[in-house]
Amino acid sequence: MRLSNQTTGRLLAAPAAFYMSLFFVAPTAVLLVYSFWRAASYQIIPDFVFSNYLNALASALFWRVTGNAITIGLITAAATLILAIPVAYYLTYVRKSQAILYLVLITWFSSYLVRVYAWRTLLGTSGVLNTVLLQLGLVDAPVEALLFSRFAVAITLIHVYLPLCILLVASSLRDIKPELVEASRDLGTSQLGAFFRVVAPNAANGLIGAFMLTFILVAGDYVTPQMLGGPSGQTTGLLIADQFRKTGNWPLGAAQAFIMFALSILLYGAITLAGRWSGLLPGARRRQGAGA
Amino acid sequence: MILRITVWLILGFLVAPIAIIVLFSFHATPALSFPFQGFSLRWYAELLGNAALGAAVVKSLVIATATAMTCLVLGGAAALAWLRVGGRTRLALEVLWLTPIALPGLFVGVSLLVLFAQAGLQLSTFTIVIGHVVIALPVLILTMRARLSLFDPSLEEAARDLGANQFQVFRRVTIPLIMPTLVAAAILAFAVSFDEFIVTVFVAGTETTLPMYVWSMMRRTVTPLINAVSTLALVFSIAVLFAAWAIGHLKRKTAIAARTQQ
Repeated sequence: MRLSNQTTGRLLAAPAAFYMSLFFVAPTAVLLVYSFWRAASYQIIPDFVFSNYLNALASALFWRVTGNAITIGLITAAATLILAIPVAYYLTYVRKSQAILYLVLITWFSSYLVRVYAWRTLLGTSGVLNTVLLQLGLVDAPVEALLFSRFAVAITLIHVYLPLCILLVASSLRDIKPELVEASRDLGTSQLGAFFRVVAPNAANGLIGAFMLTFILVAGDYVTPQMLGGPSGQTTGLLIADQFRKTGNWPLGAAQAFIMFALSILLYGAITLAGRWSGLLPGARRRQGAGA
Repeated sequence: MILRITVWLILGFLVAPIAIIVLFSFHATPALSFPFQGFSLRWYAELLGNAALGAAVVKSLVIATATAMTCLVLGGAAALAWLRVGGRTRLALEVLWLTPIALPGLFVGVSLLVLFAQAGLQLSTFTIVIGHVVIALPVLILTMRARLSLFDPSLEEAARDLGANQFQVFRRVTIPLIMPTLVAAAILAFAVSFDEFIVTVFVAGTETTLPMYVWSMMRRTVTPLINAVSTLALVFSIAVLFAAWAIGHLKRKTAIAARTQQ
Protein backbone atom coordinates (compact mmCIF):
# COMPACT_ATOMS: atom_id res chain seq x y z
CA MET A 1 0.00 0.00 0.00
CA ARG A 2 1.34 3.42 -0.85
CA LEU A 3 0.06 6.46 1.00
CA SER A 4 -0.37 9.69 -0.90
CA ASN A 5 2.01 12.55 -0.18
CA GLN A 6 -0.76 14.58 1.39
CA THR A 7 -1.71 11.74 3.79
CA THR A 8 1.88 11.02 4.85
CA GLY A 9 2.35 14.74 5.32
CA ARG A 10 -0.63 14.96 7.63
CA LEU A 11 0.55 11.96 9.65
CA LEU A 12 4.01 13.50 10.00
CA ALA A 13 2.54 16.85 11.02
CA ALA A 14 0.39 15.25 13.70
CA PRO A 15 2.91 15.04 16.60
CA ALA A 16 3.99 18.69 16.45
CA ALA A 17 0.43 19.84 15.79
CA PHE A 18 -0.80 17.78 18.74
CA TYR A 19 1.95 19.18 20.97
CA MET A 20 1.16 22.78 20.09
CA SER A 21 -2.58 22.19 20.52
CA LEU A 22 -2.00 20.69 23.95
CA PHE A 23 0.59 23.14 25.27
CA PHE A 24 -0.18 26.34 23.38
CA VAL A 25 -3.80 26.42 22.20
CA ALA A 26 -5.30 24.64 25.22
CA PRO A 27 -3.47 26.81 27.80
CA THR A 28 -4.61 29.94 25.98
CA ALA A 29 -8.19 28.63 26.16
CA VAL A 30 -7.82 27.83 29.87
CA LEU A 31 -6.44 31.34 30.46
CA LEU A 32 -9.45 32.80 28.65
CA VAL A 33 -11.80 30.73 30.83
CA TYR A 34 -9.90 31.87 33.95
CA SER A 35 -10.46 35.49 33.00
CA PHE A 36 -14.18 34.95 33.69
CA TRP A 37 -13.68 33.23 37.03
CA ARG A 38 -13.28 35.08 40.29
CA ALA A 39 -10.79 35.09 43.11
CA ALA A 40 -12.03 35.29 46.67
CA SER A 41 -9.83 35.00 49.75
CA TYR A 42 -6.94 33.35 47.89
CA GLN A 43 -9.21 30.81 46.21
CA ILE A 44 -10.18 30.71 42.58
CA ILE A 45 -13.86 30.01 42.03
CA PRO A 46 -15.27 28.85 38.68
CA ASP A 47 -17.89 31.34 37.57
CA PHE A 48 -18.88 33.48 34.61
CA VAL A 49 -18.41 37.10 35.57
CA PHE A 50 -17.11 40.13 33.72
CA SER A 51 -15.90 41.76 36.93
CA ASN A 52 -12.21 41.06 36.17
CA TYR A 53 -12.43 42.95 32.89
CA LEU A 54 -14.49 45.74 34.45
CA ASN A 55 -12.16 46.02 37.45
CA ALA A 56 -9.10 46.12 35.23
CA LEU A 57 -10.62 48.78 32.95
CA ALA A 58 -11.76 50.87 35.92
CA SER A 59 -8.37 50.78 37.62
CA ALA A 60 -6.26 53.95 37.40
CA LEU A 61 -3.13 51.88 38.04
CA PHE A 62 -3.92 49.64 35.09
CA TRP A 63 -4.25 52.58 32.71
CA ARG A 64 -1.14 54.26 34.07
CA VAL A 65 1.05 51.17 33.52
CA THR A 66 -0.65 50.43 30.19
CA GLY A 67 0.07 54.01 29.10
CA ASN A 68 3.68 53.37 30.06
CA ALA A 69 3.77 50.06 28.21
CA ILE A 70 2.32 51.60 25.04
CA THR A 71 4.61 54.65 25.19
CA ILE A 72 7.71 52.53 25.80
CA GLY A 73 6.50 50.04 23.18
CA LEU A 74 5.94 52.67 20.47
CA ILE A 75 9.19 54.56 21.16
CA THR A 76 11.20 51.35 21.31
CA ALA A 77 9.61 49.82 18.22
CA ALA A 78 10.06 53.03 16.21
CA ALA A 79 13.68 53.50 17.30
CA THR A 80 14.44 49.82 16.71
CA LEU A 81 12.99 49.96 13.20
CA ILE A 82 14.85 53.19 12.35
CA LEU A 83 18.14 51.63 13.52
CA ALA A 84 17.44 48.29 11.85
CA ILE A 85 16.73 49.74 8.39
CA PRO A 86 20.24 51.09 7.58
CA VAL A 87 21.87 47.83 8.67
CA ALA A 88 19.39 45.67 6.75
CA TYR A 89 19.66 47.95 3.69
CA TYR A 90 23.44 47.79 3.81
CA LEU A 91 23.39 44.00 4.16
CA THR A 92 20.94 43.55 1.29
CA TYR A 93 22.02 46.11 -1.32
CA VAL A 94 25.49 47.41 -0.56
CA ARG A 95 27.59 44.55 0.75
CA LYS A 96 26.51 41.08 1.89
CA SER A 97 28.92 41.15 4.79
CA GLN A 98 29.08 37.81 6.65
CA ALA A 99 30.91 39.55 9.51
CA ILE A 100 27.99 41.93 10.12
CA LEU A 101 25.48 39.10 9.85
CA TYR A 102 27.32 37.00 12.45
CA LEU A 103 27.73 40.02 14.72
CA VAL A 104 23.96 40.50 14.63
CA LEU A 105 23.31 36.79 15.21
CA ILE A 106 25.73 36.63 18.13
CA THR A 107 24.14 39.60 19.87
CA TRP A 108 20.70 38.08 19.26
CA PHE A 109 21.75 34.81 20.86
CA SER A 110 23.65 36.39 23.71
CA SER A 111 21.71 36.09 26.92
CA TYR A 112 18.74 38.38 27.45
CA LEU A 113 19.54 38.75 31.15
CA VAL A 114 23.17 39.60 30.40
CA ARG A 115 22.07 42.47 28.21
CA VAL A 116 19.62 43.80 30.79
CA TYR A 117 22.39 43.57 33.39
CA ALA A 118 24.80 45.34 31.03
CA TRP A 119 22.55 48.38 30.83
CA ARG A 120 22.00 48.33 34.54
CA THR A 121 25.73 48.63 35.17
CA LEU A 122 26.16 51.16 32.33
CA LEU A 123 23.41 53.49 33.53
CA GLY A 124 23.97 53.30 37.32
CA THR A 125 25.13 56.34 39.32
CA SER A 126 28.64 54.85 39.53
CA GLY A 127 28.28 53.28 36.09
CA VAL A 128 30.31 53.81 32.95
CA LEU A 129 28.02 56.41 31.38
CA ASN A 130 27.87 58.62 34.45
CA THR A 131 31.62 58.48 35.10
CA VAL A 132 32.31 59.42 31.49
CA LEU A 133 29.85 62.34 31.69
CA LEU A 134 31.50 63.51 34.93
CA GLN A 135 35.00 63.27 33.54
CA LEU A 136 34.02 65.19 30.42
CA GLY A 137 32.61 67.86 32.72
CA LEU A 138 29.19 67.66 31.07
CA VAL A 139 27.49 67.17 34.42
CA ASP A 140 28.47 68.12 37.98
CA ALA A 141 26.88 65.20 39.80
CA PRO A 142 25.93 61.68 38.62
CA VAL A 143 22.60 61.69 36.79
CA GLU A 144 20.38 59.37 38.82
CA ALA A 145 17.53 59.55 36.36
CA LEU A 146 19.49 57.45 33.86
CA LEU A 147 18.64 54.30 35.78
CA PHE A 148 15.13 53.40 36.97
CA SER A 149 13.21 55.38 34.38
CA ARG A 150 11.27 54.86 31.18
CA PHE A 151 14.38 55.97 29.30
CA ALA A 152 16.40 53.13 30.86
CA VAL A 153 13.71 50.59 29.96
CA ALA A 154 13.42 51.88 26.39
CA ILE A 155 17.15 51.93 25.61
CA THR A 156 17.62 48.45 27.07
CA LEU A 157 14.72 47.03 25.08
CA ILE A 158 16.01 48.70 21.90
CA HIS A 159 19.30 46.92 22.49
CA VAL A 160 17.55 43.61 23.22
CA TYR A 161 15.24 43.57 20.19
CA LEU A 162 17.37 45.36 17.56
CA PRO A 163 19.09 42.18 16.28
CA LEU A 164 15.73 40.44 15.74
CA CYS A 165 14.39 43.53 13.98
CA ILE A 166 17.45 43.69 11.69
CA LEU A 167 16.88 40.06 10.69
CA LEU A 168 13.16 40.66 10.08
CA VAL A 169 13.73 43.79 7.99
CA ALA A 170 16.53 42.12 6.02
CA SER A 171 14.23 39.21 5.17
CA SER A 172 11.49 41.58 3.99
CA LEU A 173 13.99 43.50 1.82
CA ARG A 174 15.20 40.28 0.23
CA ASP A 175 11.95 40.07 -1.78
CA ILE A 176 12.66 43.36 -3.57
CA LYS A 177 14.79 43.03 -6.68
CA PRO A 178 18.22 44.71 -6.22
CA GLU A 179 17.94 45.83 -9.88
CA LEU A 180 15.19 48.26 -8.85
CA VAL A 181 17.46 49.90 -6.30
CA GLU A 182 20.41 49.90 -8.72
CA ALA A 183 18.28 51.49 -11.43
CA SER A 184 17.16 54.29 -9.13
CA ARG A 185 20.75 54.80 -7.97
CA ASP A 186 21.94 55.00 -11.61
CA LEU A 187 19.32 57.64 -12.22
CA GLY A 188 20.96 59.75 -9.54
CA THR A 189 18.89 59.03 -6.44
CA SER A 190 20.69 59.08 -3.10
CA GLN A 191 20.69 56.03 -0.81
CA LEU A 192 18.07 57.77 1.32
CA GLY A 193 15.97 58.56 -1.75
CA ALA A 194 16.29 55.00 -3.01
CA PHE A 195 15.06 53.77 0.34
CA PHE A 196 12.05 56.06 0.55
CA ARG A 197 11.03 55.93 -3.13
CA VAL A 198 11.82 52.32 -4.01
CA VAL A 199 12.38 50.11 -0.99
CA ALA A 200 9.92 51.44 1.59
CA PRO A 201 6.77 51.32 -0.58
CA ASN A 202 7.58 47.77 -1.68
CA ALA A 203 8.57 46.51 1.75
CA ALA A 204 5.86 48.42 3.66
CA ASN A 205 4.08 45.28 4.86
CA GLY A 206 7.31 43.71 6.08
CA LEU A 207 8.39 46.92 7.82
CA ILE A 208 5.04 47.29 9.57
CA GLY A 209 5.22 43.60 10.53
CA ALA A 210 8.67 44.12 12.06
CA PHE A 211 7.43 47.22 13.90
CA MET A 212 4.38 45.42 15.30
CA LEU A 213 6.26 42.29 16.37
CA THR A 214 8.81 44.46 18.19
CA PHE A 215 5.99 46.48 19.77
CA ILE A 216 4.17 43.38 21.01
CA LEU A 217 7.31 41.77 22.43
CA VAL A 218 8.41 45.03 24.09
CA ALA A 219 5.01 45.97 25.51
CA GLY A 220 4.68 42.50 27.04
CA ASP A 221 8.16 42.43 28.52
CA TYR A 222 8.21 42.34 32.32
CA VAL A 223 11.84 41.64 33.21
CA THR A 224 13.42 44.89 32.00
CA PRO A 225 10.76 47.14 33.64
CA GLN A 226 11.25 45.23 36.89
CA MET A 227 15.03 45.55 36.72
CA LEU A 228 15.35 49.09 35.32
CA GLY A 229 11.94 50.72 35.38
CA GLY A 230 11.74 52.01 38.94
CA PRO A 231 8.34 53.30 40.08
CA SER A 232 7.77 55.38 36.93
CA GLY A 233 8.70 52.70 34.40
CA GLN A 234 6.23 49.95 35.39
CA THR A 235 4.36 48.27 32.54
CA THR A 236 1.30 46.10 32.03
CA GLY A 237 3.54 43.08 31.56
CA LEU A 238 4.99 43.54 35.04
CA LEU A 239 1.51 44.10 36.50
CA ILE A 240 0.26 40.86 34.92
CA ALA A 241 3.37 38.90 35.94
CA ASP A 242 2.90 40.05 39.55
CA GLN A 243 -0.72 38.86 39.58
CA PHE A 244 0.61 35.38 38.88
CA ARG A 245 3.78 35.54 40.98
CA LYS A 246 2.74 37.56 44.03
CA THR A 247 -0.82 38.71 44.65
CA GLY A 248 -2.32 35.49 43.38
CA ASN A 249 -5.36 37.01 41.64
CA TRP A 250 -5.01 34.87 38.54
CA PRO A 251 -8.42 35.66 37.01
CA LEU A 252 -7.65 39.39 37.13
CA GLY A 253 -4.21 38.79 35.61
CA ALA A 254 -5.79 36.69 32.85
CA ALA A 255 -8.29 39.46 32.05
CA GLN A 256 -5.48 42.05 31.97
CA ALA A 257 -3.49 39.84 29.58
CA PHE A 258 -6.41 39.62 27.16
CA ILE A 259 -7.09 43.37 27.36
CA MET A 260 -3.43 43.99 26.49
CA PHE A 261 -3.74 41.54 23.61
CA ALA A 262 -6.86 43.31 22.30
CA LEU A 263 -5.12 46.70 22.56
CA SER A 264 -2.21 45.36 20.49
CA ILE A 265 -4.59 44.21 17.77
CA LEU A 266 -6.38 47.59 17.80
CA LEU A 267 -3.03 49.32 17.44
CA TYR A 268 -2.08 47.08 14.56
CA GLY A 269 -5.32 48.02 12.80
CA ALA A 270 -4.71 51.71 13.48
CA ILE A 271 -1.15 51.55 12.11
CA THR A 272 -2.26 49.70 8.98
CA LEU A 273 -4.95 52.33 8.38
CA ALA A 274 -2.51 55.16 9.01
CA GLY A 275 -0.13 53.52 6.55
CA ARG A 276 -2.82 53.44 3.87
CA TRP A 277 -3.76 57.07 4.39
CA SER A 278 -0.20 58.32 4.42
CA GLY A 279 0.48 56.45 1.19
CA LEU A 280 3.18 54.13 2.51
CA LEU A 281 1.09 51.02 2.13
CA PRO A 282 -0.10 49.49 -1.15
CA GLY A 283 -3.37 50.90 -2.37
CA ALA A 284 -2.15 54.46 -2.28
CA ARG A 285 1.19 53.54 -3.82
CA ARG A 286 0.11 54.10 -7.41
CA ARG A 287 -0.71 57.71 -6.69
CA GLN A 288 2.74 58.26 -5.24
CA GLY A 289 4.38 56.55 -8.23
CA ALA A 290 2.49 58.82 -10.62
CA GLY A 291 3.54 61.91 -8.71
CA ALA A 292 7.23 61.01 -8.69
CA MET B 1 30.09 56.46 3.09
CA ILE B 2 27.60 58.06 5.49
CA LEU B 3 25.59 54.83 5.32
CA ARG B 4 28.64 52.78 6.21
CA ILE B 5 29.49 54.95 9.21
CA THR B 6 25.87 54.79 10.37
CA VAL B 7 25.86 51.00 10.09
CA TRP B 8 29.06 50.66 12.12
CA LEU B 9 27.80 53.09 14.76
CA ILE B 10 24.64 51.00 15.14
CA LEU B 11 26.67 47.81 15.37
CA GLY B 12 28.86 49.54 17.95
CA PHE B 13 25.76 50.27 20.00
CA LEU B 14 24.90 46.55 19.81
CA VAL B 15 28.33 45.27 20.77
CA ALA B 16 29.69 47.90 23.20
CA PRO B 17 27.54 47.03 26.26
CA ILE B 18 28.40 43.36 25.88
CA ALA B 19 32.09 44.15 25.41
CA ILE B 20 32.08 46.27 28.58
CA ILE B 21 30.51 43.40 30.56
CA VAL B 22 33.25 41.07 29.35
CA LEU B 23 35.98 43.62 30.10
CA PHE B 24 34.87 44.20 33.70
CA SER B 25 34.63 40.48 34.38
CA PHE B 26 38.45 40.64 34.41
CA HIS B 27 38.57 43.69 36.69
CA ALA B 28 40.87 43.51 39.70
CA THR B 29 38.49 45.53 41.89
CA PRO B 30 34.71 45.26 42.43
CA ALA B 31 34.14 48.66 40.76
CA LEU B 32 32.21 48.52 37.47
CA SER B 33 33.41 51.80 35.97
CA PHE B 34 36.47 53.37 34.41
CA PRO B 35 39.37 53.90 35.07
CA PHE B 36 40.16 50.24 34.65
CA GLN B 37 42.42 49.12 37.47
CA GLY B 38 44.14 46.02 36.15
CA PHE B 39 43.29 42.50 35.11
CA SER B 40 42.54 39.63 37.42
CA LEU B 41 40.86 36.24 37.26
CA ARG B 42 39.61 36.46 40.85
CA TRP B 43 35.91 36.52 39.90
CA TYR B 44 36.26 33.41 37.78
CA ALA B 45 38.14 31.71 40.63
CA GLU B 46 35.32 32.64 42.98
CA LEU B 47 32.76 31.09 40.63
CA LEU B 48 34.55 27.74 40.68
CA GLY B 49 33.78 27.13 44.34
CA ASN B 50 30.07 27.94 43.97
CA ALA B 51 28.13 24.68 44.31
CA ALA B 52 24.68 26.24 43.81
CA LEU B 53 25.82 27.74 40.52
CA GLY B 54 27.20 24.38 39.41
CA ALA B 55 23.88 22.70 40.19
CA ALA B 56 22.01 25.37 38.21
CA VAL B 57 24.33 24.88 35.20
CA VAL B 58 23.78 21.10 35.28
CA LYS B 59 20.01 21.60 35.53
CA SER B 60 20.05 23.98 32.55
CA LEU B 61 22.15 21.56 30.49
CA VAL B 62 19.74 18.68 31.23
CA ILE B 63 16.71 20.81 30.35
CA ALA B 64 18.29 22.18 27.18
CA THR B 65 19.26 18.68 26.03
CA ALA B 66 15.76 17.31 26.67
CA THR B 67 14.26 20.31 24.87
CA ALA B 68 16.58 19.90 21.87
CA MET B 69 15.80 16.16 21.60
CA THR B 70 12.04 16.72 21.78
CA CYS B 71 12.28 19.51 19.23
CA LEU B 72 14.43 17.32 16.98
CA VAL B 73 11.78 14.57 16.85
CA LEU B 74 8.71 16.83 16.63
CA GLY B 75 10.37 19.37 14.35
CA GLY B 76 11.93 16.73 12.11
CA ALA B 77 8.54 15.15 11.45
CA ALA B 78 7.05 18.62 11.01
CA ALA B 79 9.70 19.52 8.46
CA LEU B 80 9.00 16.36 6.45
CA ALA B 81 5.30 17.16 6.64
CA TRP B 82 5.98 20.70 5.48
CA LEU B 83 7.57 19.29 2.30
CA ARG B 84 4.48 17.19 1.55
CA VAL B 85 1.39 19.15 2.40
CA GLY B 86 0.41 22.15 0.38
CA GLY B 87 -1.89 25.14 0.32
CA ARG B 88 -4.29 25.56 3.15
CA THR B 89 -3.02 22.71 5.35
CA ARG B 90 0.44 24.21 5.23
CA LEU B 91 -0.86 27.64 6.19
CA ALA B 92 -2.92 26.24 9.08
CA LEU B 93 0.07 24.30 10.40
CA GLU B 94 2.31 27.35 10.17
CA VAL B 95 -0.13 29.46 12.16
CA LEU B 96 -0.25 26.73 14.81
CA TRP B 97 3.51 26.21 14.91
CA LEU B 98 4.77 29.77 14.61
CA THR B 99 2.33 31.89 16.64
CA PRO B 100 4.09 31.36 20.01
CA ILE B 101 7.13 33.23 18.66
CA ALA B 102 5.01 36.32 17.97
CA LEU B 103 3.61 36.53 21.49
CA PRO B 104 5.35 37.84 24.59
CA GLY B 105 6.87 35.00 26.63
CA LEU B 106 4.78 36.26 29.52
CA PHE B 107 1.59 35.15 27.75
CA VAL B 108 2.95 31.65 27.08
CA GLY B 109 4.27 31.40 30.64
CA VAL B 110 1.09 32.34 32.50
CA SER B 111 -1.18 30.28 30.24
CA LEU B 112 1.00 27.18 30.85
CA LEU B 113 0.92 27.94 34.57
CA VAL B 114 -2.90 27.94 34.65
CA LEU B 115 -3.02 24.78 32.52
CA PHE B 116 -0.67 22.92 34.87
CA ALA B 117 -2.59 24.17 37.90
CA GLN B 118 -5.88 23.08 36.36
CA ALA B 119 -4.48 19.66 35.39
CA GLY B 120 -2.99 19.22 38.86
CA LEU B 121 0.50 18.79 37.42
CA GLN B 122 3.30 19.57 39.89
CA LEU B 123 5.79 22.15 38.59
CA SER B 124 9.15 20.49 37.99
CA THR B 125 12.00 20.03 35.52
CA PHE B 126 9.46 18.26 33.34
CA THR B 127 7.13 21.27 33.14
CA ILE B 128 10.10 23.53 32.35
CA VAL B 129 10.95 21.30 29.36
CA ILE B 130 7.32 21.42 28.20
CA GLY B 131 7.44 25.24 28.28
CA HIS B 132 10.81 25.45 26.55
CA VAL B 133 9.65 23.22 23.69
CA VAL B 134 6.71 25.59 23.05
CA ILE B 135 9.22 28.46 22.65
CA ALA B 136 12.00 26.54 20.87
CA LEU B 137 9.94 24.50 18.39
CA PRO B 138 8.86 27.57 16.36
CA VAL B 139 12.51 28.70 16.17
CA LEU B 140 13.52 25.25 14.94
CA ILE B 141 10.73 25.05 12.37
CA LEU B 142 11.39 28.60 11.16
CA THR B 143 15.12 27.87 10.73
CA MET B 144 14.40 24.64 8.87
CA ARG B 145 11.77 26.16 6.61
CA ALA B 146 14.25 28.48 4.92
CA ARG B 147 16.61 25.56 4.22
CA LEU B 148 13.90 23.12 3.19
CA SER B 149 12.73 25.36 0.38
CA LEU B 150 15.98 24.24 -1.31
CA PHE B 151 15.05 20.56 -0.91
CA ASP B 152 14.62 18.80 -4.24
CA PRO B 153 11.61 16.42 -4.14
CA SER B 154 12.68 14.83 -7.43
CA LEU B 155 15.41 12.98 -5.50
CA GLU B 156 12.69 11.12 -3.59
CA GLU B 157 10.80 10.44 -6.79
CA ALA B 158 13.93 9.08 -8.45
CA ALA B 159 14.49 6.65 -5.56
CA ARG B 160 10.88 5.53 -5.79
CA ASP B 161 11.16 5.00 -9.55
CA LEU B 162 14.20 2.84 -8.91
CA GLY B 163 12.01 0.54 -6.80
CA ALA B 164 12.66 1.73 -3.27
CA ASN B 165 9.68 1.44 -0.95
CA GLN B 166 8.51 4.36 1.15
CA PHE B 167 10.54 3.37 4.20
CA GLN B 168 13.72 2.93 2.13
CA VAL B 169 13.26 6.30 0.45
CA PHE B 170 12.81 7.86 3.84
CA ARG B 171 15.84 6.16 5.43
CA ARG B 172 18.29 6.38 2.54
CA VAL B 173 17.33 9.62 0.78
CA THR B 174 15.20 12.00 2.81
CA ILE B 175 16.81 11.62 6.24
CA PRO B 176 20.43 11.94 5.05
CA LEU B 177 19.46 15.03 3.07
CA ILE B 178 17.70 16.90 5.86
CA MET B 179 19.77 15.62 8.82
CA PRO B 180 22.50 18.32 8.81
CA THR B 181 19.91 21.10 8.75
CA LEU B 182 17.85 19.33 11.39
CA VAL B 183 20.80 18.88 13.76
CA ALA B 184 21.90 22.49 13.31
CA ALA B 185 18.35 23.68 14.04
CA ALA B 186 18.16 21.42 17.12
CA ILE B 187 21.36 23.02 18.44
CA LEU B 188 19.66 26.42 18.09
CA ALA B 189 16.73 25.01 20.09
CA PHE B 190 19.30 23.99 22.72
CA ALA B 191 20.64 27.55 22.81
CA VAL B 192 17.13 29.01 23.13
CA SER B 193 16.34 26.70 26.04
CA PHE B 194 19.66 27.26 27.81
CA ASP B 195 19.04 31.01 27.90
CA GLU B 196 15.26 30.97 28.47
CA PHE B 197 14.11 32.98 31.47
CA ILE B 198 10.76 34.67 30.84
CA VAL B 199 8.65 31.50 30.52
CA THR B 200 10.78 29.51 32.98
CA VAL B 201 9.88 31.80 35.88
CA PHE B 202 6.26 30.69 35.71
CA VAL B 203 6.70 26.95 35.17
CA ALA B 204 9.79 26.25 37.31
CA GLY B 205 8.21 25.85 40.74
CA THR B 206 11.16 25.44 43.10
CA GLU B 207 13.68 24.44 40.42
CA THR B 208 16.58 26.78 39.62
CA THR B 209 18.04 27.02 36.13
CA LEU B 210 21.17 29.02 35.28
CA PRO B 211 19.29 32.16 34.10
CA MET B 212 17.14 32.01 37.25
CA TYR B 213 20.24 31.74 39.40
CA VAL B 214 21.84 34.68 37.59
CA TRP B 215 18.61 36.64 38.08
CA SER B 216 18.67 36.01 41.83
CA MET B 217 22.30 37.23 41.90
CA MET B 218 21.38 40.37 39.97
CA ARG B 219 18.53 41.24 42.29
CA ARG B 220 20.78 41.12 45.32
CA THR B 221 23.64 43.28 44.13
CA VAL B 222 25.84 44.38 41.26
CA THR B 223 29.15 42.52 41.36
CA PRO B 224 31.76 41.48 38.78
CA LEU B 225 30.81 37.93 39.73
CA ILE B 226 27.75 38.39 37.52
CA ASN B 227 30.01 39.73 34.75
CA ALA B 228 32.07 36.56 34.98
CA VAL B 229 28.99 34.29 34.77
CA SER B 230 27.67 36.41 31.89
CA THR B 231 30.95 36.15 30.01
CA LEU B 232 31.00 32.37 30.39
CA ALA B 233 27.37 32.16 29.22
CA LEU B 234 28.25 34.36 26.24
CA VAL B 235 31.24 32.21 25.28
CA PHE B 236 29.05 29.12 25.59
CA SER B 237 26.32 30.64 23.35
CA ILE B 238 28.86 31.59 20.71
CA ALA B 239 30.37 28.08 20.85
CA VAL B 240 26.91 26.53 20.45
CA LEU B 241 26.07 28.84 17.52
CA PHE B 242 29.38 28.00 15.90
CA ALA B 243 28.71 24.28 16.38
CA ALA B 244 25.31 24.65 14.69
CA TRP B 245 26.89 26.49 11.79
CA ALA B 246 29.80 24.03 11.45
CA ILE B 247 27.60 20.92 11.57
CA GLY B 248 25.22 22.42 9.05
CA HIS B 249 28.09 23.07 6.64
CA LEU B 250 30.36 20.08 7.20
CA LYS B 251 27.64 17.44 7.18
CA ARG B 252 26.12 18.87 4.05
CA LYS B 253 29.51 18.64 2.39
CA THR B 254 30.14 15.04 3.51
CA ALA B 255 26.61 14.05 2.48
CA ILE B 256 27.24 15.39 -1.00
CA ALA B 257 30.71 13.78 -1.12
CA ALA B 258 29.30 10.39 -0.08
CA ARG B 259 26.65 10.60 -2.77
CA THR B 260 29.12 11.39 -5.53
CA GLN B 261 31.38 8.50 -4.50
CA GLN B 262 28.69 5.82 -4.65
